[in-house]
Order: sequence, then structure tokens, then C-alpha cells
Amino acid sequence: MFRALTPYLLVAPLIIFIEVFTYVPILSSLNLSVRHWDFLSPTMPFVGLENYETLLSSRDFWNSLKVTTIFAVLSVPLRLALALAVASYLVRETLPSRLLRAAFFLPSVTSAVSIAVVFSWVFSTDYGMVNAALATLGFGKVPWLQDPSLALWVLIFVNTWKQLGYDVVIYIAGLQAVPQELYDAAAVDGGRKLHVFRRVTVPLVMPTTYFLLVISVIEAFQVFTIVNIMTKGGPAGATDMLVNLLYRVGFTLFDIGQGSALAVLLFVFLIVLSLIKSRVIGRKVHYEA
Amino acid sequence: MKRENPFMVGLALVVGLLFLSPVLYSIWISFETAQAYYTGSPEFTLDNYVRAVSEYNFARYLMNSIIVSGLVTLLGITIATMAAFAFARFQFRGGDLLFGATVATLMIPSHISLIPNYLTLAKAGLLDTYAGLILPAVSNGFAAFFLRQYIRGIPKALDEAAYMDGATPMQVLWRVIVPIARPAIFSMGLYIFITEWNNYIWPLIAVGKDDLFTLQIGLARLYRINPGEGLVDWPLVMAASTITILPVLAGFLLVERHLVRGITMGAIK
Repeated sequence: MFRALTPYLLVAPLIIFIEVFTYVPILSSLNLSVRHWDFLSPTMPFVGLENYETLLSSRDFWNSLKVTTIFAVLSVPLRLALALAVASYLVRETLPSRLLRAAFFLPSVTSAVSIAVVFSWVFSTDYGMVNAALATLGFGKVPWLQDPSLALWVLIFVNTWKQLGYDVVIYIAGLQAVPQELYDAAAVDGGRKLHVFRRVTVPLVMPTTYFLLVISVIEAFQVFTIVNIMTKGGPAGATDMLVNLLYRVGFTLFDIGQGSALAVLLFVFLIVLSLIKSRVIGRKVHYEA
Repeated sequence: MKRENPFMVGLALVVGLLFLSPVLYSIWISFETAQAYYTGSPEFTLDNYVRAVSEYNFARYLMNSIIVSGLVTLLGITIATMAAFAFARFQFRGGDLLFGATVATLMIPSHISLIPNYLTLAKAGLLDTYAGLILPAVSNGFAAFFLRQYIRGIPKALDEAAYMDGATPMQVLWRVIVPIARPAIFSMGLYIFITEWNNYIWPLIAVGKDDLFTLQIGLARLYRINPGEGLVDWPLVMAASTITILPVLAGFLLVERHLVRGITMGAIK
């Protein structure tokens, strides 16, 4: 009798925590998204889809969606291309390549707050490292984080710098799974390095690329810390990414209904992406080229 | 082992240091006096660290980060290991469903639970407490999944031998499974610890009392309360930033291989 209960007792703590802090919140978000509430008032009247309508007709939402999409479209291919190039240099197990892998990987486990603070300094107009370097080359001061056309690029740079090493490590794992004979065969055929890279390496690491593509898009749509520290969404909304908007609506304007509606929309979008990811990973490689 | 080409090793070091130069330079600045920083004269001091601890609350923030990340790791790895053992070794009604629900949490973006969890903790009176910081971070579906895969690779004959000797399931878990799975448990524990150490958005929402700030919140505040561009006391801020990254940095240098292995395995989930 007690024996039969054992597995349930073993999984109970985990399942209870998952239930309370992950699954129930999805339902509460749905419920809150169709209500009016400001955290304080005693009632939360049902308002149907009004919050969604307000959101979809607000300039802020479309601006955030635009900014976040631009961020994703620019930063993801950049990250992947750089990472694959770096990974193919560092794929061998030698001391220099292990040292470099560690150096590239370090930022991905470092505090995003610290990185954001450090890069706020690096890109600060009057005392920053970048403008100091530009000054020695005879250029004037660039207001990196105050210029709406530059600020998003700075965030893309910082995010790429932080995440690159993770992508590199994953690509190395993917590259090491490619059978060496394929390279040897390509070399025997007199393939030139770049040619072999394009015709052999790139197609063979396609599954890894798909995986990284989807997780980095998902990540791009959830970027918050560097925005919150470096620009607070500014200047003039130029870096007001979706989770930053969610934070502002929910926790500084205390519009719970609209904040929840935004959370639900973002949730649906990211789940669809995740489902694509699990299909891709579940599938085997197609060795065609 | 092949002899390494010293030139390549040197080149790798230079490129690596160049890549990390913003962070390395920020650590350098944290040892400069404010005057040295603005005038460029070489003058070094520990004063910024002293001020971060005495004028600001950084000793307390450091302690809070250690307590919160430590407890999240301890609780998280314990319940994940227990569940992983059940999922790997027991056939039970609903087991597949519960395992599915655990794995599905990997796909659920955390922003969806921010507002509801805030409300739950407010109702329970747990905002501005350690419990409020810790509880929402304890369940880790990835760790449970990862450990379940690992435990499945352990020969079942070992369990059976222990049961023959009259061991209970808890004894089998503790005496047979945990010792063998130690590397995997260690990797996952490290992964949970670092993730929690660097967590920003949840502590930002869940605590408003200075005495409960983690390092991440303390650093963000310190940077922000500085009035504006140019007036920032960079040496002080960089000292606080160094305090924030140093524990993970030191840990990373010690156990880089474990960490990379854990994370690579995670990608092939």
C-alpha cells in the first residue's frame, strides 16, 4: 500500500511548485486580461476583450512590437553567423581553442545587470571607452545611448557580446558530431576551405542552427535587463522592447488588465515558436547539399 | 599529448583578453580613486569597496544573494532529484502526464507568471520576504528532466540489489542513485545557482525594502541613483559591479568544464 504511494510522494513537491507558480499563473493571466484592475480597488469588473482592443490600438504596443522585431531580425542572424565562424575555428581540442572558448563563454554566465552597467560606461558619451578610442582616431563624441537611431544598435551589440559564447559552445558540440571522413572526402576532392565550409559544414550543422535560431528569437522577445538598465526603453521609445512595456504597464502604471493582455499575447507567440523548436529538434537531420 | 604552439597560445590569450576587456577594465577602474579616474593619474585604493560596504548596503546585498541563490539551489535540486528518481524508476498512473507537464515548463516563458505570482505572494503576505524571493524560483523542470535522463542510464540491477537487501526507496535514492548521479547533480546545481544569482526581474518586482535587495537590485539602484551622465561615480559603481560578478567569475574558473558540459547537454535536450 505504502509502496504504491512512493512515486507520488516523490514527485509531489516539484509538481506542487510547478502548479502554483507556473500553470495556475497562465490561467490567472487569462482571467485578469479580461478584467479592469489596478491592484487596489476591491472589485475587478469583467470587461471582455476591451484590454486587448486598447492594447492593439495603442501606439506603445505597435512601437514595442516593431522595436522587438527589429532587434530579433538584426541580432539573431548576426549572432549565429559570428558563432558558427568562431566555432569552426575553435572546434579542435587544443589549449588555445579551449582558452578562447572559456573567454567567449564567460559573459553568458555573468550578471546581465553588471554587463549592462559596464557597457553603459563603455558607451557613455563623455567618459566611455568607445568614445575615448574614437577620440584618439580624431573622431568627435558620439551620444551612443542618447541617439534614437543608435541606442538599439548598442543593445544589439551588448546582447550579442553576452550570448555569443553560448552559441559557440553549442555549435562546437554540433560540429564535433560531424564525421571527420566527410571533411577528408571533401579535401581529397580538392575542395577549397571556404567551399568546404559552405558545402559541407553549413548544411551538416543545420539542426544546430535551427535550434539556436529558435531559442535566440525566443530570447530576443524576452530581453529586459539590459533595456531596463541602459536605456529604460528610451530615447523616445527607440528601445522600448515588449517585456519592458509589460513591466511598465503592469508594475509602474499598475494596469493589471492590460499588462495581463500583453503577457497573454506574448505568451501565445512564444509558445508557437517553442512548438516549432520541439518539432525541429525531434526531427532527424537531412543530409542534403 | 601534442605540444602546443606557444605563438597560438599567446594569440588566443590576447584575443580572449581583448574580448573581455570591458569587464576587465571595469575591475581596474574599481581600484582607482575618483580623482585618478577623471584625471588619468595612476592612484589606487580599496576605498570604493569600503564605501560600497559602509555607505551603501553591499555586504547585506551579498549576503542576501548568497542566501537566496543558496536556498533556491538546495531546495530546487532536492525536489528535482526526488521527482527525477520517481520518473526514471517507477511506473505509476499519471506518471507520464506529470512528466509531460514537467518537461512542458521548459517552453513556458517566465514573463507570463510575473503579475499572477506577484498577486499570489501579496495575498500570502510574502512580498518583501526571503520566501517571496525564493519560492517562485524553486521548481526547475529542466533539472528534473535532465536528472531523469541521467538516472535512466544507471543500471537498474544496482537498485534491485539494494531492494533485495531490504532498502526502502528513499534509501535507494540516497545511497545508490545520488552518489552515482553526483556529477549530473553538481552540474545542475551550478546551473540553478548561477541562473538565480543573476536573476533580476523577479527580485525587482518582489522586494522594495533595501535590506532584502540582492546584489543585482542593489547594483541597478546604485547606478541609477547617480544623478546623470558624467556625474556617475564610476569607480564606486564598478566596485559594486565587481562584487556582483566576482563569485560567479571565481566559480566559473574553477568548474568551467562542468558548467559547459551541463549547458551543452541542455541544448541537446
